[in-house]
Amino acid sequence: MDSAREVSDGRLTVEGFSVAARTFADKWMIHNQAFPPWSWIPLINRTLLVSNKEEGYLSLEKIIILSSLDEIPEDESLNVATDCLEKEESIDHTILVPTLENEAHYYDFHIVHSASYKVPVLYFRGYCSGGQPLSLDVIRKDLPSCSVSLLVESKWTFITQEEHPYLNRPWFKLHPCGTEEWIKLLSQSSSSSGCHMPVELYLVSWFSVVGQVVGLRTPLQMLN
Amino acid sequence: MAEKETPPIILQFAPLNSSVDEGFWHSFSSLKLDKLGIDDSPISITGFSGPCSHPQVSNHLTLLSESLPLEEESLIGTTSHGNRNKCPVPGILYNTNTVESFNKLDKQSLLKAEAKKIWEDIQSGKALEDSSVLSRFLVISFADLKKWSFRYWFAFPALVLDPPVSLIELKPASEYFSSEEAESVSAACNDWRDSDLTTDVPFFLVSVSSDSKASIRHLKDWEACQGDHQKLLFGFYDPCHLPSNPGWPLRNYLALIRSRWNLETVWFFCYRESRGFADLNLSLVGQASVTLSSGESAETVPNSVGWELNKGKRVPRSISLANSMDPTRLAVSAVDLNLKLMRWRALPSLNLNVLSSVKCLLLGAGTLGCQVARTLMGWGIRNITFVDYGKVAMSNPVRQSLYTFEDCVGRGEFKAVAAVKSLKQIFPAMETSGVVMAIPMPGHPISSQEEDSVLGDCKRLSDLIESHDAVFLLTDTRESRWLPSLLCANANKIAINAALGFDSYMVMRHGAGPTSLSDDMQNLDINKTNTQRLGCYFCNDVVAPQDSMTDRTLDQQCTVTRPGLAPIAGALAVELLVGVLQHPHGINAKGDNSSLSNTGNNDDSPLGILPHQIRGSVSQFSQITLLGQASNSCTACSETVISEYRKRGNSFILEAINHPTYLEDLTGLTELKKAANSFNLDWEDDDTDDDDVAVDL
Repeated sequence: MDSAREVSDGRLTVEGFSVAARTFADKWMIHNQAFPPWSWIPLINRTLLVSNKEEGYLSLEKIIILSSLDEIPEDESLNVATDCLEKEESIDHTILVPTLENEAHYYDFHIVHSASYKVPVLYFRGYCSGGQPLSLDVIRKDLPSCSVSLLVESKWTFITQEEHPYLNRPWFKLHPCGTEEWIKLLSQSSSSSGCHMPVELYLVSWFSVVGQVVGLRTPLQMLN
Repeated sequence: MAEKETPPIILQFAPLNSSVDEGFWHSFSSLKLDKLGIDDSPISITGFSGPCSHPQVSNHLTLLSESLPLEEESLIGTTSHGNRNKCPVPGILYNTNTVESFNKLDKQSLLKAEAKKIWEDIQSGKALEDSSVLSRFLVISFADLKKWSFRYWFAFPALVLDPPVSLIELKPASEYFSSEEAESVSAACNDWRDSDLTTDVPFFLVSVSSDSKASIRHLKDWEACQGDHQKLLFGFYDPCHLPSNPGWPLRNYLALIRSRWNLETVWFFCYRESRGFADLNLSLVGQASVTLSSGESAETVPNSVGWELNKGKRVPRSISLANSMDPTRLAVSAVDLNLKLMRWRALPSLNLNVLSSVKCLLLGAGTLGCQVARTLMGWGIRNITFVDYGKVAMSNPVRQSLYTFEDCVGRGEFKAVAAVKSLKQIFPAMETSGVVMAIPMPGHPISSQEEDSVLGDCKRLSDLIESHDAVFLLTDTRESRWLPSLLCANANKIAINAALGFDSYMVMRHGAGPTSLSDDMQNLDINKTNTQRLGCYFCNDVVAPQDSMTDRTLDQQCTVTRPGLAPIAGALAVELLVGVLQHPHGINAKGDNSSLSNTGNNDDSPLGILPHQIRGSVSQFSQITLLGQASNSCTACSETVISEYRKRGNSFILEAINHPTYLEDLTGLTELKKAANSFNLDWEDDDTDDDDVAVDL
């Protein structure tokens, strides 16, 4: 048995990650059409001329959640007159005056491989239509209530804010500390015939747990 | 004037909205700081758009970090052409260096200039080659790179057609096309969107033949399409989701159509998607009536509108990104995260709030003071005050971890000042201050001229202790610890004491003050039967603190200690403080001994036991914990002394400082010694009469 093809210690190599990512994205596209598909963003490794390893991450962006009209705090120093264009532009009747609708919150999710923990990590962020980032408090309000209690109770799920490994900006992430342990549990529990979880299914299994925290359900068919 | 049956409905366009990704501001800030400086010439940027993809939310014109002209290499590959959701749109950015110049920008003429470019592209035919120029946009901004806030305003120049375009009909595309046609149109659109060559071309022709076959063609193929079709529609990626209104790009599109092809009736197709595929229910087909203006010439640029509204008002937008860009804030959140991880993984009941709010006073900024400060920072404690009279000497930096060589050059910096500077360099969010002051000591008599200044120092010290929560006694003499011990006992403040010998150390926490419970007479009785107070540094002494130039074990003027001691003792002192702060009884916590077996978790404190005293030696690599009760004859913390201090204040202090035996007399130590001495005398008398004892072997 090639140990690189199976998950026995809860960890995932870089190669295993890209294999598992492909399987995950394919299954998602087939079984989870309620959502747009995940894209694979390759990383350009400029140090190695010839690289056998294809490194990259999975990306799912612009998931929209409609929420009730928030009061977005404006910059306090914005003391401008009520109409900055008064003398300049007349009212144009061909412009539709929009009714104020529900505020849309946009979410981006990235699944990144952590070299130090050797497990996948879920990074995410939220922002308003204008681009303003959403704070964790606001994001929690968008999460389904069962997720919020999962976050509070479970010692496996802990949201931190850290620098995105490739984009150099703070994103939220689910801390990977316990991942190895519970993946091991998952892979062992499926070993009725003594076989462990195949690498391809790592991300599917992993996401079936982790995705729930951020309200992304994994349809059961994906786990086959 | 003959009345028409129905007055023409003016076609109303849904305005386009902007969305600026945080990454754009990050990249722009770097560009400004690294390259542009004060150069405020306009910058060509690229916006990104796409057709609407959600039935309830319109799409935006987006700016991303890749919207700026690329300079440095990034790890992520650049967005290549052919990204279906990032159709590039040319734009221009005017960024000003002050908010005043931002407000003074002539917005109307800037808008006119961009509208003129669009008009010229229409006239010259460039718009047919690269139709994205029809959606050219303009942004004015002011970036405050000290506060990390950005003020900005988008304009989407739209040529105003005069008289305005009227709408003949508008309906969902699925109702306009037959089902066969619809299928073919969808398929053609999906092919168009799937091909890298055409997916980001936002304006196109939809030609439907008589046998219901649809094909999508580039605008420049218009002539070639003539006669070929039964239906010919002008299609475009419509960002708007509304069922009764087309999106903004149609405005300049109609201007193009009227100008190039002189059509009076225009069939247009608002292309919208859902889940990545053409959605003909969401998409619209409409017929517009465009009046040809006879007096129009190619040189006259039509009027233009297009400044984006901010919640219905004609004011700019702003965004503050201090939380994700200000380096100090980023450092703070990183440090907080570290502590939270400790709590989450190992100590779920750790109270982090008490740590971040506790105010620590460090008396002494030498080897111990520096180590204590560093370890306090590691625990997330932000509020630290140093008291030290000395300057950084040449021998200090190697052992006193906050100082560097620069601090001793020249006349040498005051330690209290240098320590503050050092803490802020390590972690900018520290709230720290330094006081250059000597601590009055008993046994060092002062002249009457010095009295006022010494009493002033006592008052200062007393105020400092009052205004802090925990006091570290880290000075280098025994007697300098007396006054602080007394003041802490009086104010019932946590006092942690650390002292070094050559190769041994002692770290202890003082017990609560004698009047820690209420002064009520009844309670005093209860107090006595309850757990006793723990002792302070002086409780076990039978000698009052005096001038200690003659050395003893722990209390000498220690200029020579093994270097490893200060870090050990300093670290233990901080861990002891944290233990007290986490303990439910705080300063009143009883002392534990490590010798007592500790089965299972200690419920009182998540950190483990909380000893009273720790004594250790590096020569033996050993460490023990000790327990000592408060002494009624203590010269620093006993009731007698405290109440005398409260009664007489300054005169009490002065007497203690100037008279070496005053404290011993006051506390009865003098009596005690006399009694001990007289006891011995009796014993000696007995002995001389007993010869048997002398002979005995």
